[in-house]
Amino acid sequence: MTQPIQPSSMVQVVDLEKFFGALQAVKQASFTVDIAEVVCIIGRSGSGKSTLLRCLNFLEQPHYGSIQIDDVRVIARPDGRVDPAQIHALRLKTGMVFQSFNLFAHRTALENVIEAPIIVKKMATTEATDLGLQLLEKVGLTDKKDQYPSRLSGGQQQRVAIARALAMQPKVMLFDEPTSALDPELIAEVLGVMRQLVDEGMTMIIVTHEMDFARNFADRIIFMDQGHLVEAGSPTQIFDQPQDARTRQFLYALDHQN
Amino acid sequence: MKPNDAETCELGQQVELIRQQQEREFQIGVYVSWAVLFFFLILAFSGLKINLFGFEIKTIALDLGFITRSGPNIAEGIVVTIILSTASIVLACLLALMGALGRLSRFPPAYATSTFYISLVRGTPLLLQIFFLFFALPQIGIRLGPMTAGILALGLNYGAYMAEIFRAGIQSVDIGQQEAAYALGMTRNQMMHRVVFPQALRLIIPPIGNQFIAMQKDSALVSTVGFVHEILWRAEKHGRRDARHLEALLIAATFYWILTIIFSACQSKIEDRFSKGVRE
Repeated sequence: MTQPIQPSSMVQVVDLEKFFGALQAVKQASFTVDIAEVVCIIGRSGSGKSTLLRCLNFLEQPHYGSIQIDDVRVIARPDGRVDPAQIHALRLKTGMVFQSFNLFAHRTALENVIEAPIIVKKMATTEATDLGLQLLEKVGLTDKKDQYPSRLSGGQQQRVAIARALAMQPKVMLFDEPTSALDPELIAEVLGVMRQLVDEGMTMIIVTHEMDFARNFADRIIFMDQGHLVEAGSPTQIFDQPQDARTRQFLYALDHQN
Repeated sequence: MKPNDAETCELGQQVELIRQQQEREFQIGVYVSWAVLFFFLILAFSGLKINLFGFEIKTIALDLGFITRSGPNIAEGIVVTIILSTASIVLACLLALMGALGRLSRFPPAYATSTFYISLVRGTPLLLQIFFLFFALPQIGIRLGPMTAGILALGLNYGAYMAEIFRAGIQSVDIGQQEAAYALGMTRNQMMHRVVFPQALRLIIPPIGNQFIAMQKDSALVSTVGFVHEILWRAEKHGRRDARHLEALLIAATFYWILTIIFSACQSKIEDRFSKGVRE
């Protein structure tokens, strides 16, 4: 039931299933993401959207289905015994940004960015440092390059984390609620960097509660509920003419929470 | 009424001065109290008879001649004690690391070997293990010098306890650090080596220091099998010869205590070095 990936698509997920014990977190998830497309996944807490995202680079082991990113295709197995080399190849195609930043606490901002290029890609330190400085400049943190994460604000940490993910030159950027742990006044600086990536044509999959960002910058919205991909469409379709009752209910609750 | 900037600035300086003053007073109080406690300790061994409100308090009299005669020779044991405990703690750290990795492994033989070792060693007394290594190994043709047997016994014993310290240290590094490393394409070994161990080290250095301090004293148990001329062994020899057991033990106690004080000072220096990027 797997069809060959379209030349224009970057990510193709087919029939993905994920269990936590008896609980099914992701149910028969299938979707594709085109090159340079920005997809936002929205839904309630516990709807499985973060789990789905984390399955894409095997931080969570999916139990069934397949994931293809660029030219790497990995087929999930119920026993989890997937060739580590395949998982590694998949991870090199993706860059991930976490809700809680997860910067290496014992490394400075610059060291965080150059760590993986040096260790994983065996890049020369001087070359990696040039790349690192370039990326820190891109996220506006050149002056913080020698600071440890504990000395940076949440927004600054998240921007370093984005630079760190970009340093591996991924084909797809995965954002797992990148602004959910931030104070309101720091959200804009992180969204600003993400907007820049949208403009540069980066393929992005973003799990988010930032509906304004999703409406303005996503090419497509996927709404998830109880592990199901309920509905997908353009921001106008999803936000203005939702077809499914569950989507309407979610959006209604959002509108009336304030 | 809101104070103006100059006033808040002045108030801030005043608050800081008061805080520093209070900190100094605390330090002085601690030093004075230590001095008083130390004075009483010395007094207890002064040999004086003290009359306190009609009660006569006896103190212990020491043979100072014996102390000056035997002190230098017992002091030579310090070097042996340091060599013994340093070699043992190095061995213990290696075993503890392997033990911890085994405990965290999903490979059954590794997990089993590690838990078996930890259970066996923690389940039997150190003194027994020292005797056992010294007396049992020759039966199968392995003849170890007393020093080697001592290092092996202390290292094996402390390694088992420290394996749990290492495991706890490794596990207390936030799981998000591992996820970030994996997401960047690191292998498990790279992740452990570059991300988890350096951060775990900061957490396990204080308890390792503590174990080392304990081991400096437990190394005295090795003297029971004889021929390891560390502090306590020498003290007992001198004490027996001149029938001055108490004096001999006090000399040994003093040396152990001084060793501990010196190492404790080094320990806080080492901890400062490893706290980079975390404590602020």
